[in-house]
Amino acid sequence: MKWFDRFLKIYTYIILALMYLPIVVLIIFSFNESRSKVVFTGFTLENYYRLVNNFMVWDAFYNSIWIGVVVTIVSVLLAILMSYGVTRYSFRGKAIVDSIMLVPIIIPEIVEALTLLVFLVILGFSLSPYTIIIGHVAFDISFAYVVIKARMAGYDPQFEEAARTLGADEFKAFRKVTLPILAPGIAAAALIAFLESYDDFIKTFFTRPPGFLTLPVYIWNMASRRGFPLDLNALASFVVIISLVFAYVRRRVERGVLR
Amino acid sequence: MSEGPDESIEVGKGRRNFLRIAVTGAAALAVGGVVGFYSREGEVSSLRKKVEELSSKVGVSPTPTPTSPAPKNLNIYNWTWYANLALVEDWAKENDIHLVYDFFEDLDTAISTITTGAAQYDLTVISDNEAKELYDGGYLMDIDLDKIPNFENVPDEFKGLPFDPDNKFSVIYSYGTTGIGFNSDFVPEGVKAWADLFDVDNPDSVIRRHAGKVTMMRDSTETLSAAAIYLGYDIDTTKESELQDIANLLIAQKQYLYGYVQTEDYMNELPVGQRYYISHAWNGDIAGIVYASDEYKVYIAKYYDNVKYVVPEEGALVWYDNFVIPKNAKNVDAAYEYINWFLEPVISAIHTITIKYPYPAGLKYVPEEIKEDPMIFTPSDLADKLYLGRALSPEERAIREQYWNMVMTA
Amino acid sequence: MNVLDLVRRSRKLKLFLFIGIPLLYLFIFFFIPFLIALLYSLGMFKQVVYQYIFVPRVSLDYYAGLFKYPGILKLIQRSFYYAVLTTLGTFILSYPIAYYIGVKLDRRYRDTAVLIIFTPFWINFLLRVYGMRFILHEAGLVNTFLRLLGFVSEPIKFLGTDLAVIIVMIYSYMIFMVLPLYGVLEKLDVELLEAAATLGATPLKTFLRVTLPLSIPGILAGSLLVFIPALGEFVIPELVGGPNTATLGTIIYSLFLRVRGVTGWGIGSAAALIYITMIVVASYIYMRFVGGEVVLG
Repeated sequence: MKWFDRFLKIYTYIILALMYLPIVVLIIFSFNESRSKVVFTGFTLENYYRLVNNFMVWDAFYNSIWIGVVVTIVSVLLAILMSYGVTRYSFRGKAIVDSIMLVPIIIPEIVEALTLLVFLVILGFSLSPYTIIIGHVAFDISFAYVVIKARMAGYDPQFEEAARTLGADEFKAFRKVTLPILAPGIAAAALIAFLESYDDFIKTFFTRPPGFLTLPVYIWNMASRRGFPLDLNALASFVVIISLVFAYVRRRVERGVLR
Repeated sequence: MSEGPDESIEVGKGRRNFLRIAVTGAAALAVGGVVGFYSREGEVSSLRKKVEELSSKVGVSPTPTPTSPAPKNLNIYNWTWYANLALVEDWAKENDIHLVYDFFEDLDTAISTITTGAAQYDLTVISDNEAKELYDGGYLMDIDLDKIPNFENVPDEFKGLPFDPDNKFSVIYSYGTTGIGFNSDFVPEGVKAWADLFDVDNPDSVIRRHAGKVTMMRDSTETLSAAAIYLGYDIDTTKESELQDIANLLIAQKQYLYGYVQTEDYMNELPVGQRYYISHAWNGDIAGIVYASDEYKVYIAKYYDNVKYVVPEEGALVWYDNFVIPKNAKNVDAAYEYINWFLEPVISAIHTITIKYPYPAGLKYVPEEIKEDPMIFTPSDLADKLYLGRALSPEERAIREQYWNMVMTA
Repeated sequence: MNVLDLVRRSRKLKLFLFIGIPLLYLFIFFFIPFLIALLYSLGMFKQVVYQYIFVPRVSLDYYAGLFKYPGILKLIQRSFYYAVLTTLGTFILSYPIAYYIGVKLDRRYRDTAVLIIFTPFWINFLLRVYGMRFILHEAGLVNTFLRLLGFVSEPIKFLGTDLAVIIVMIYSYMIFMVLPLYGVLEKLDVELLEAAATLGATPLKTFLRVTLPLSIPGILAGSLLVFIPALGEFVIPELVGGPNTATLGTIIYSLFLRVRGVTGWGIGSAAALIYITMIVVASYIYMRFVGGEVVLG
């Protein structure tokens, strides 16, 4: 069976390499000077120059970030409330509440996005960046909740009780004792919430106001309307670097949670 | 832009080195944005100079005086590649208008967006009969011509067009034809007629010899009309038997197509010809390719001589695009200001020079070499080959739509 | 301060604060939209130029419109075809990887291996799909490779075909299959496998009798995670497909954005609700089934 194990090993390596291939190809072609676009003919930084000159990208990037930050703050706050309620109180229908919180993760985004759009338009809300935020929070709560609840359920409430016997009321006990313990969990949840919002395309696309771009919407516009816009490859290089930084930070934070 | 680096700093207090890379990266992005902004400023100022040059030549005042100084919003919904954005942004800045310029590429999308009310726009540009249909449906405001003094710059032949004889709801924007664009490097024999794209039973036809290298428009009016003209039917036919023939033809054609694509796509692809090189296209788009037009630059020399446009022998659709104001517009005054500014002869002329669509109000000041290009200004001897659509009732639309959907989902 | 004191004292108010506010948010912006879309699909909102008026009557016109929609059956068929092939494809490709990492690989390296699998999925999905376009192009990597090996003389046209859509879908969804499989395989008791071997079972028999049955929960979870989104996928057929790759997802998308008038929204809502019903049913069956598995185990 040695040969079989070896085969498995080689197979795994090959597939893993293939996973990276599209990204590597994107970055390589970002230096392509050719007008023929899909054949590499020569090295140039022209695509980067064009990217740098493209004000729409910077607008979109800025929008992605600020929307992500607002969404993260709101959804993490709501998720903290929820997980505190669920882990510290017992009440009827707790299991139902818990599973309701998971629904937004399971439902495909396109359905969420369309129903939200119908809802907003029928009720006469005009679309704005805030409608995007509303939509993102609606699924981000769930992601943040799962992480924070796991953390909160995982530690002993006796610290809180100790604080309260020492005279702190529930709010104070929460602030002084629970919150610091929760901090790594909250950080992890915030990061996940931010990335889910930052990277979201479908919900943003359907609930955005006229002419409003986020980075994924911009990428979609470029990729769906033009064949091989090489400045998109240059953008890809930046996005890849930023994503890897996020991935690294996330790993650090998650390790902090496990410790 | 400062939020980028801040965010990364907050999240990971651990590794300084790694963060430094992240921050440097983000800062580089920010600096890039600033540099980009200034180089664009250069283009705008050179365009402005052009406006002034042209104005002094013809002796009119270059920029209209701002009517009200209060800052306002203006949401414009226009076709892609149809306005000189550098000029438009410059105008918005000068008049303290917060401008949102949004684009569509086919009328189906535009009308879907306008009628469902998903987005609110103050001004949009819609073609002849569909504008009339929108107006009949109650989706458009009446236009007050008194608020557009520059309407007098529009030549008489573009006033009171058949779909709106009294200019009650529309003001001409531009006009043109829908034909075929192709890259002659790949199609040396050329394309002349709709038969070249639709004669799918003949293995020697252009579409069969260039299978997979041809595109049609993703626009129900345009593509149904093209097939109707080839079959010799009325372009606005609502007879089910004829529509069935049209649908059958389009479905038969579909397997030889690259796909259904739009302006931005074919404008980028035709000069290259890598994915496809024959496209159902609008005249001004192809002219835009030939002159390598750019919303920020002024070219008069031909750049891609290998891209050609033909009005097919069997005839073609002619269209007139118009400014219209949707009923749910919130900033009507700003919309009027924009229309008025656009009808300034010099502004219209600059648009024609840069975008390569004819904007009637500026006709007089367009250089001869552009004026004489049949790709941009449709020659009058073609008139009897050109068909203008008529307004349809919602029921008639629904029938046509059904057959269009049949083609799309086939 | 008074309000705060009140909250401090009352358990109900506290519960409302903790559970109620987030729940209310979800209800208003997540569940009520579904309800509104349901009412809309039942023709209970009439549009009069930018105003939507509620009319208390139920009509199934939009659902009828959906089933009369030209080519709808073909579309649904095609969507299932893509989703099934994607699920099978991801399973076949992922199982050996999950098995290798979860069973064969030294425990110390497993975390790193999972991280290596995960990293590409951090990068924007649209960009990865766009990257696949370079690889699948007629002059792209795959064709160059095949030509160099002498398999083909004429480049194969991938882009615009079913094959391209399925390849890219498998690539994009693979992670959702690998992780649940890895999850079950990693927990597999290696001693059990060794016991089977010492009892004389051939490796193949061990695999078929022990490993595979034990990984069924992971297979089911992975299949569900791949199948559900694959069924409604619209980005991939739009970006790498062609004129003949319209799916349920692309049609819902164009009903909302490209079809004139409000009927598009009505039919689109109907389609979205049918899709969601299928998901709920599938998830329910899954829960029942896996619940049973857990009891048996």
